[in-house]
Amino acid sequence: MTFDLNALEADYPLVLQGLLVTLRIVFYAILFGAVGSVVLCLGKLSGRGPGYRVAVFVIDFFRTIPEVVLIFWVYSCLPLLFGLRMSAEVSGIVALSLFVAANVAEILRAGILSTEKGQLEAAFSLGLPAPTIWRRVVLPPAVRRMMPNFVNFLTELLKASSLLSTIGVAEIVYQATVLGNETFAYLEFLTAVAVLFFMLIFPLSLYVRRAETRHFKRTSR
Amino acid sequence: MNAGATKLAIRCTDVVKRYGTFVALDRVSTTIATGEVVCVIGPSGSGKSTLLRTMNGLETIDSGTVDVLGHTLPGPRRELETIRRRVGMVFQNFNLFGHMTVRENLVLAPMTARGLGRAEADEAAQKLLTRVGIGEQIDKYPAQLSGGQQQRVAIARALAMEPEIMLFDEPTSALDPEMVNEVLDVMRDLARGGMTMVVVTHEMGFAREVGDRILFMAEGQLLVDAAPATFFTAPEDERQKAFLSKVL
Repeated sequence: MTFDLNALEADYPLVLQGLLVTLRIVFYAILFGAVGSVVLCLGKLSGRGPGYRVAVFVIDFFRTIPEVVLIFWVYSCLPLLFGLRMSAEVSGIVALSLFVAANVAEILRAGILSTEKGQLEAAFSLGLPAPTIWRRVVLPPAVRRMMPNFVNFLTELLKASSLLSTIGVAEIVYQATVLGNETFAYLEFLTAVAVLFFMLIFPLSLYVRRAETRHFKRTSR
Repeated sequence: MNAGATKLAIRCTDVVKRYGTFVALDRVSTTIATGEVVCVIGPSGSGKSTLLRTMNGLETIDSGTVDVLGHTLPGPRRELETIRRRVGMVFQNFNLFGHMTVRENLVLAPMTARGLGRAEADEAAQKLLTRVGIGEQIDKYPAQLSGGQQQRVAIARALAMEPEIMLFDEPTSALDPEMVNEVLDVMRDLARGGMTMVVVTHEMGFAREVGDRILFMAEGQLLVDAAPATFFTAPEDERQKAFLSKVL
């Protein structure tokens, strides 16, 4: 077996095209998932009532089933159940949005719940109105605390998006596999995919590691 | 101070607070007049902080009432917010908003809860910081200041709401010894200016010098209510004697 970089030369635009599809899907999944995550998070924070129970169920359900099952399920069962006809890419975005919503809801919740009691008491004792307490006192430090977890999840999401190749979404892994089929240069194309993923994810991992060290320094002072 | 003034600031009537089976406040009743400086002392776990925290509704109570500036607690939520805007509070651990500069800490409440404009609030903040002796620190973050400076910012933040009553919850307990006085000095100035103050403290010197009255608590009960001179020199209650023999 040889490793022939020349095999990439003619077809690398297709790989990059696949990368763009990956990024587009991840972008929309975060966009829609973020909206869902806020709703779920508020539901779970409410602590009781039907909203709470639905939120807890949805979060637990979509966090526990394997992503590949979720993807297949949205792609093949939603059309059966509701007669919805969606392209593979739209199905993929829907599935990943659910994945994002459930996971980010928990990240948001953890960030909000880690607000120090003293900060709230200071805000209360100043007679600040509730919206101000949320916007100015609770959320800014909470967002800062949740950033490492969020970026960590983003790397998971990028990797999970490769599972969409199984339902024929023309994202990067799909393109590489197809090109491998055509040229028999599997090794080269999949290596290229690995390198691209590494270039995407490694800086994010570095950020998380740095943020955690910073946090450690701050709290251990 | 203000011996003639008898206008009521706070009245606690049979206040009871339980945590499970533990009775934190056991039918505590007292009144505090406008302009009075009342120091609450007692062993730890005696309920003094809890009592203080019922006065701005940070602590809910199980029975009894707390009247503050004509509003009654427990009461509706709006009432509670009104009380909190008229009553300032200073905490043991400062509780400054760490992600905001000193300036932002001071203008936040006046701008959102009192409707002051940015320029007005800014000017008031600068004046207050100068008054507590740290006018030049206005654009720093709390973490860049010493404990004593942070506590003075916290006092200034509470004063920015122009409160009629100030509550202090062990304001010097978390400070290094050399920083205690700079905070007590600010409180002394406030008292001299006629502020109604309730101070939970372990600083016996301060209580004796600045307090108009001393409330002594033990096991959730208010045991002694006396002028400082009597309290420190002619103790009557057994637990008061035991406590004083340890701290003096």
